[in-house]
Amino acid sequence: MFQFFSDALLRAADLALIAVALSAVYSLIRFPNVALVQYAVVGAFLAISLQSAGLGLVAAAALSTLAVGALAVLFNLAIFERLLKVESSIALIGSLALSMILSAVFLLVYGPTAYRLQLPVLAPIRLMGVRLTTWQLWTLGLSVVVLALFALLLLRTRLGAEMRAVATNAPLAAATGIETRRVTNIVVFLSGMMAAIGGITLALRGSVSIDMGTNLLLPVFAAAILGGLGNALSAIVGAIVIALAETVITNTNLGPLMGEAVWFLPASYAPVASFAILVLFLLFRPRGLFVSEVTRV
Amino acid sequence: MDNKLLSLAGVLALGALFHAVPAVAADEFTLGAIIPLSGASATTGEDQRRGIELAVKDVNAKGGVLGKPLKVIIEDSGGKPQTAIDAAKKLVSVDKVPLVIGEYSSGITIPLGQYLVQEGIPHINPASTSGLVRKIGATSHSMVGLDNVSTEFAARDVLGHGWKNVTILAMNNAFGQGVAEEFRKHFEAKGGKVLSTVMYTLGQPSYRRELQQIEAAKPDAYVFTAYGTEGALIMQEAFELGLQQEKPFYSILITMMNKDTPAEFKKGLIGMDVGYLGAGGESYRKDYEAAYKEGFLSAYGGYAHDAVEFAAAAINKAGSTDHAAVLKAIDELGKQGFDGATGEIKLDADRQRTSQPYLKFKVEGAKLVPYE
Repeated sequence: MFQFFSDALLRAADLALIAVALSAVYSLIRFPNVALVQYAVVGAFLAISLQSAGLGLVAAAALSTLAVGALAVLFNLAIFERLLKVESSIALIGSLALSMILSAVFLLVYGPTAYRLQLPVLAPIRLMGVRLTTWQLWTLGLSVVVLALFALLLLRTRLGAEMRAVATNAPLAAATGIETRRVTNIVVFLSGMMAAIGGITLALRGSVSIDMGTNLLLPVFAAAILGGLGNALSAIVGAIVIALAETVITNTNLGPLMGEAVWFLPASYAPVASFAILVLFLLFRPRGLFVSEVTRV
Repeated sequence: MDNKLLSLAGVLALGALFHAVPAVAADEFTLGAIIPLSGASATTGEDQRRGIELAVKDVNAKGGVLGKPLKVIIEDSGGKPQTAIDAAKKLVSVDKVPLVIGEYSSGITIPLGQYLVQEGIPHINPASTSGLVRKIGATSHSMVGLDNVSTEFAARDVLGHGWKNVTILAMNNAFGQGVAEEFRKHFEAKGGKVLSTVMYTLGQPSYRRELQQIEAAKPDAYVFTAYGTEGALIMQEAFELGLQQEKPFYSILITMMNKDTPAEFKKGLIGMDVGYLGAGGESYRKDYEAAYKEGFLSAYGGYAHDAVEFAAAAINKAGSTDHAAVLKAIDELGKQGFDGATGEIKLDADRQRTSQPYLKFKVEGAKLVPYE
């Protein structure tokens, strides 16, 4: 039972950072940026490259996070601002295109091989029968701290108030003297950083290959929609629900049903949970778990 | 203006024509090979490349093929079926090779072989052991024994260690399914019990979920098979979860993943793989160590080596590159037997290798040591 919850919690932390980033950007510029999942991959790959170039782990991760934030702003200025002038659905398609281009660039630069960060080997930990690794605990802690900082920023600072104002009513916010473009780009920068941290925490606990972004797309979107797109912090709840559902699928022993002692669904069936929840929510509760101003996704 | 455009188009068309001409000099004899030089199995792919390189040297020292020096055009499959088939199309239509050798994993060899069979091109499988390889078709041949033979050896070996209850972890492709099914059949026929079988999808960032699933059955030992860097990740995570420290791991075709796995994550690992026999094997080992200053990267270089030697011998026997003549010569050579680095190669009526040496291996430090 404890193993179940720790697996679900770790998975939720994987998804939450990127889902919150997605939702936060959506709240300001009203389109879900598909390329965000690829920013996570950029972050992971950059950190691995920087580390193999001789940087320390923390320096490599920090530099990579800042670089991805800057990259996100660059893409926003160069591509999405222009596309958004046409229509938000065009921007969505543009972000899909960017996502594919990034994926092709990864294939060119890194090839299909999986990469890992160079980490010291640490002995496994057993807590109340739960198998954990030290890196899992570190990454979980990091995710929680980053999410808490983002929540503080959103709820307790002037910038956060401006962000919420722009999200609620951009023209009105602009009329009161808030520079909406600046606020948007700051949020885009933060979203890039959060995606990069999400990618790096995944790299700390496993290997990174060019498929990582594509594999994240569905559960991250499902988590963001579940929380109500544009409702940044509730994407965390969305991530927890998706993670619980995925863990039920992979951790439930269906042996008794199959007439065997032990029988599990293959772990590759986990995305089914995201799909099912996504469809159910789009049908019956398109605004997400909580009511937000978004009426349609 | 129109004339200028027309002549420009003419120049472009001419250029395209010249490009279509194979870039290989006419005084070379070319064969094609498709192997995983990148991707999870890149280490084995490099071993296969070395085997091919040594075979080319050897064939050329003996006078080449049809009086010309042999050249093998090597294409990278990237460990992906579609890339392998694209490479085969290029080899067949641009380089016009009379025979293609490839690939490594059954999940890729089978579609690749099917494409070549469809085109009527002779195909030699240098490594894949899935039982489904037998059904590829009339122009496809194997230099390696298939998994009905290998899993029986593994089942006997695992029982010999006194492990009666095991769980199987295998990749979800033609090879992994074949291994899981055949191993279970042989293991249970010999009195063992497979408690559960977990099939994993290739290319995942982590295999913790699967490892926790195999642990739930509480077996005496874990039997698994994995490619290159994925095997390394599975072993590392099994170590990090503490699974390795509690129960033994047994690797089917252990050389596929041994080289990529750091020593600290495979203490006490044992397994089996295809082996080498006879005088041919000894001389291949010597040539290999002289050329590359290290031991074999995997067990599969020798089979790629033999595929080239066998193909060269068959084409020399046929006396031409005509597909029917080459296929007939392969059949005859397969009946009569051919001595390669991997022992005597004989082919059965389905064009598959009839017998096949296997070895038991154990890990010592980073190295793999055969034992009895």
